[in-house]
Amino acid sequence: MSRIIVVTSGKGGVGKTTTTSNLGAALAKHNRSVALVDADFGLRNLDLLLGLEERVVYTAIDVLAGECRLAQALVKDKRIKGLVLLPAAQNRNKESVQPEQMKKIATALAKGYDYILIDCPAGIELGFRNAISAAEEALIVTTPEVAAVRDADRVIGLLEAEGVNKISLIVNRVKPLMVEENKMMSVEDVLELLGVPLIGVVPDDEKVIVATNRGEPLVLGEYESVPAQAYSNIARRLEGEKVPFLDLMANQGNIFSRLRRMFGG
Amino acid sequence: MKRERTTQKVDIRRYTDDPDVMTFEPTISLDKVDELPNSSPLVNRYSQIGLKNNGEQVLLILPTQAEINSDLPWSETWQELKHLLKTKEQSWQEGTKVCLVAKDRLLDARQLQTIAETLDDVKLSLATVSTNRRQTAVAAATSGYSVQQNSAQPLVEEQADEEITPSTLAEPLYLQSTVRSGVEIRHPGTIVILGDLNPGGKAIAAGDILVWGRLRGIAHAGAQGNLQCRITALKMEFTQLRIADAVARPPKLRPKRLSPELAFVTPDGIRLTDTSEFAKNYVFSKSNKAWIGKNQAK
Repeated sequence: MSRIIVVTSGKGGVGKTTTTSNLGAALAKHNRSVALVDADFGLRNLDLLLGLEERVVYTAIDVLAGECRLAQALVKDKRIKGLVLLPAAQNRNKESVQPEQMKKIATALAKGYDYILIDCPAGIELGFRNAISAAEEALIVTTPEVAAVRDADRVIGLLEAEGVNKISLIVNRVKPLMVEENKMMSVEDVLELLGVPLIGVVPDDEKVIVATNRGEPLVLGEYESVPAQAYSNIARRLEGEKVPFLDLMANQGNIFSRLRRMFGG
Repeated sequence: MKRERTTQKVDIRRYTDDPDVMTFEPTISLDKVDELPNSSPLVNRYSQIGLKNNGEQVLLILPTQAEINSDLPWSETWQELKHLLKTKEQSWQEGTKVCLVAKDRLLDARQLQTIAETLDDVKLSLATVSTNRRQTAVAAATSGYSVQQNSAQPLVEEQADEEITPSTLAEPLYLQSTVRSGVEIRHPGTIVILGDLNPGGKAIAAGDILVWGRLRGIAHAGAQGNLQCRITALKMEFTQLRIADAVARPPKLRPKRLSPELAFVTPDGIRLTDTSEFAKNYVFSKSNKAWIGKNQAK
């Protein structure tokens, strides 16, 4: 049984594409076959984050136009077995694809891969509707900011209306110290408003930016990092494992604040 | 630029007087500010898709072309229908027949099919289409539904009567889900929400609004001008409350309340009190057009 999952957020710049690339790589590490679909026609980024830009030959548009077979358009990631990317076209816009066409592509991919992760564009227009048309599940990415949470709420409502009821939440870019000082919404605040189950919390980390610029998903990096750990935990939870959430406060603050926390201060 | 600023000021003051701001897409027109408030029966502005149990069958009533103001795209109507069917209490039996009251709306075969499919998802079956448009009747007949044409038909008349007398409120609307951002619930009666009203979400009722959860969005009770209407919620964390033409914003600092609160109109504007304390302490004074303390009334 393959799973078609859309990664969406409503608001832009909260980390949909980063999440898609890292989750894809993490799932492939777990010996799953994964197809990543870039649904952001006209503003494609997923190939950049995966470092596959120079290997893109055909795009989803070419497949739909019948100019190539689906298998030809898929770009295989050489670093890890089982991970492929279906790139979006950069020279077209969102109107060049219809929801039924996206559905066709996703169902065709579902025959050959365990996971189909669809990277949704920001917004709730046609691009969004294309991306969710085939999805059976959704991962909502949000940051602990009022605007991002508000948009996530809207998107959850739209997904529910479309009958996508298996929705999980990823809270991205959490700054534990700021939360502690009451300067940032906590994960609990976000959860309480959105009312969907949490599947992962990813801390804010400069390493994410470095990895993004280098075109190498963090989970494939040589060094262990907290965000990489968080992403592979999400992958394990998708697989059905019960993994406790990371203690983001573990390495934060000085000895005094840590002691204070220990004694429940 | 300067002129715009001054008119906007006026606009804020008269915000709730102008019924136009309550329509589906609130566009505040700057030119309209100097006109008198529209006094036409407000109920039309709130009527959206209606769902009614009528003994054996369920009536699905679409708003007329006139009621939806401009050309609301079909996808919006369809979205609304889906939302309504998903969240409304399921007071029907499986396989109940539905009569679609399309009034003067033009529906083609494909739209009828999407309606039928959407109804099918919630175990309802479209059987009859009532319309006063010939084209819709033809489309319905071609698709194999029984057709009731013309307004001579009693169902439509009954509906029309209701619209002329907006003083009678519709049955309460009972929603069993959270109202999320971007969703606007309009109902010509009382609204009961078993769930939260999230920020960015809106409930507009001709009657009272009861939120069995957190009220964080915008609630407008007595939207047809009834100052007696109240808004109550288990947790009042609203963005804005409106009762008839009164508006209230939350104060900057507000102590966390554990008990449910109720908002009502006093001679000094909208006030909050513990829901459990309201009935025994306040009485509606017709001369003041507001709720006043019982001691004061004596």
